[in-house]
Amino acid sequence: MSVAAITIKDLTKDFSVGMTGVKVRAVDSLNLEVRDNEIFGLLGPNGSGKSTTIKIVLGLLGASFGECLIYGKPSHAVEARRSVGFLPEAPYFYRYLSGRELVCYYAKLCGVPRREISDAADSVIELVGMTEAAPRRVGTYSKGMLQRIGLAQAIVHDPQLVILDEPTAGVDPLGSAAIAEIIRELKSRGKIILLSYHLLAQIEGLCDRVAILHRGHLVREGSIDELVTESEAESLIVEGLRPDGKIAVEAAIAEAGGRWVRREKPRLSLDTLFLNEVQRLEKERSARAAEEKGSS
Amino acid sequence: MNFISLQQVGWIAGNTFLEAVRQKFFNSVLLIAVALVASSNFFQQFDFGTSELKFIADFGFGALFFFGSILSITVTTQLFFNEIENRTALTMLAKPVHKVSFLFGKWAGVQLLMLAFVALLCALLAVILYWRETSLMAEQRYEIFSEEGILRYSDIALFGFLQWLKFGLLSAITLFIASFSNTSIYTMIVGFCALVVCQLQYIARDAYAEMDQGLGRLLVQGIGLAFPNFQLFNVGDQLLFLTEETLPAGITVRMALYAGIYVAAFMLLALASFRHREI
Amino acid sequence: MLPLLCSWLWQAFVTVKFDHPLLLRVRAVFLTVLFLVAVGVFTRPVEDVAWERVKSGQTELNLASIEGALGQGIIVGILGGFRAITADFLWIQANAVWERKERATFDSMVRLLTTIDPRPLFFWINSARMIAYDIPSWRIREEGGYDTVPDWRQREIDLEQAEQAFALIERGLRFHPQNSRLYLEIGQIYLNRLDDVEAAAPWFLKASQQPDAPHFAARIYAELLRRQGKNAAAYTFLKDLHKRLPDGDLFARKGIILERIRTLEETLKIPVEDRFKPY
Repeated sequence: MSVAAITIKDLTKDFSVGMTGVKVRAVDSLNLEVRDNEIFGLLGPNGSGKSTTIKIVLGLLGASFGECLIYGKPSHAVEARRSVGFLPEAPYFYRYLSGRELVCYYAKLCGVPRREISDAADSVIELVGMTEAAPRRVGTYSKGMLQRIGLAQAIVHDPQLVILDEPTAGVDPLGSAAIAEIIRELKSRGKIILLSYHLLAQIEGLCDRVAILHRGHLVREGSIDELVTESEAESLIVEGLRPDGKIAVEAAIAEAGGRWVRREKPRLSLDTLFLNEVQRLEKERSARAAEEKGSS
Repeated sequence: MNFISLQQVGWIAGNTFLEAVRQKFFNSVLLIAVALVASSNFFQQFDFGTSELKFIADFGFGALFFFGSILSITVTTQLFFNEIENRTALTMLAKPVHKVSFLFGKWAGVQLLMLAFVALLCALLAVILYWRETSLMAEQRYEIFSEEGILRYSDIALFGFLQWLKFGLLSAITLFIASFSNTSIYTMIVGFCALVVCQLQYIARDAYAEMDQGLGRLLVQGIGLAFPNFQLFNVGDQLLFLTEETLPAGITVRMALYAGIYVAAFMLLALASFRHREI
Repeated sequence: MLPLLCSWLWQAFVTVKFDHPLLLRVRAVFLTVLFLVAVGVFTRPVEDVAWERVKSGQTELNLASIEGALGQGIIVGILGGFRAITADFLWIQANAVWERKERATFDSMVRLLTTIDPRPLFFWINSARMIAYDIPSWRIREEGGYDTVPDWRQREIDLEQAEQAFALIERGLRFHPQNSRLYLEIGQIYLNRLDDVEAAAPWFLKASQQPDAPHFAARIYAELLRRQGKNAAAYTFLKDLHKRLPDGDLFARKGIILERIRTLEETLKIPVEDRFKPY
């Protein structure tokens, strides 16, 4: 596909607070692109604008300014959602339906042809590992099972773009790993996956690219490697070496009988990067606020 | 039509109906209504003669009207807010489903439920009336001047149909209120207020002509025009007995058209409001 | 002044933000009301015909005459579309009052329920019977019993109660001017309670002239004429009646009428050749 899956240009969303006319800016001039066949992570603390951005992408909210396109179509158009699957955060489904009935119901709503519904439902239920539990009512499911059946309903109509909001929230590590595997499988089938996550350790091993939001602004964007690698530093990994200077170390290593293994750029964990960025921005904001207060 | 899919409306309606019949409130109200209609047999003890049938019919029609109105408002409110609060509306509207299909689907699902309610109560009332009519005709032949009997049973179905139309209109009004309301309790309270106003609208409608020109007259005239006339559908006490004429088909068609236009109007208003609602 | 006003309006227009939530809300309410009024105007031609038909079957409420007796619950019940069932419950209450022999309360309840819903014939006829037949017995027993109260006083009480019953039925005739049963009731009170054949006869005649008249009303009128010694008038009436009545109708009792004609011919000594030929 030549057209980007999601194109966001200068996206801004303001919410009115009561009748006072005061507005809260949830997303501010956001520019973003999600490309073909990648797993894209959307990160940010509570109130950063992640959910608002996702809702605008899904056409559930209208933008105040800017645009959001899905495969070149405006996101608020119903047609744009034909190639989109969505799993909400902490999903809740109709408790009286069985898992299979639920998936078939959503397949119908998404326009899956009647004769293909049964096979499509069975296929996705098998993919998410819910074949045995599918005949049972959704009201009897555990949290992990709800997430899985939620994933099944999101992909039953074979969408090209899959949006998952906190897909492993409240799920145990084994379940989380299983869901991560499913996501990788979807990518291998050529899908594009947009994830919204709080669990940064999992993002690091899963996503191709991430975007970090803070107070509605895009703070950083890029591949995991680009973001977490410190360009100014280098790390030396040496076996059995005393701590001396770089050149001296090389000679000293040879002299001291050590073995030079490899030279690498040191890596921050994504957690650390995220926290550092947020703290830096908060400090800048507090300084600006103090300046403004001082000048007035 | 690109903005609505009748198939989707049908599926959403079917799912809404399935959810509604499981609601404890609906089952409780249905049981109470059935019990009340069945208990209309207590009129036997008064020995009213064939007039006992009038009492049974009034009681049955009254139960249908009263409990049906309550159900229309509460079930519509509950089903709508369940979707919003549980965020199943979020999941559904993230699919290629128009908001208009969602709203009409909810309304149609409630209407299916009300149809089941009306049909059940009308059937029960017909059975009780038939049983008492045959008993009374055997006991009191001297009072009866016609061999055909006393009652016209098709009028029970006619009354049920008219009430069902009214319940549909009431559901549409409730959906409109729900579309901009933040809480279910507010929706129900305003819904019941709307029911009272619509029930009494006929007084404003006929009264404004006798008022002097001025703001009062304008207000009363406005109420008479803006709110639908629910009294139009309360014809139970004019139906059923062979001594009275049934409602002409043309009048029934007009009532159905009247209800249909108002349902469309309120659903349009609901859609206009719901489009801007943040789920 | 005008330029100043225009300047102020222009300043307001350019400075006031029309995206202010309060203004938007006011605009939404205004547009909604306007839309609903437009729908009301549009549907008025559809509604008018149906409403006229429905209204014609609902007698006008004249609450002014019973204002003092109306409680809040009754007002809500009547205006809320429960007119018939409210009157039914009042009738059941009236029966309970009748069992307790509370005359004054019974009278006011009858007045109330027949005003709320004057359509059921049952209320008028049964109330009149209770007033004309039961209440005189209560009053006589209150004054000492049939053995103690002199005949003239008993007659006086019977007449007073009969007049009250006639007043009630005549009020009912305003709503049911062509109902034979009300005329019959007056005739029967004159005949059975007051033993006044002369006063009863015209009421049986009026009853027989109504569209829904039972065949016996005319026969009784003829018999009352005979009892008054007006044999010739009875003879003429019966001959005319025999011609008018349908042949196949068992209730018409043409055989009995013919027998009475023959008896009168004997009484009046009508020559054989001049006697009535039924075919």
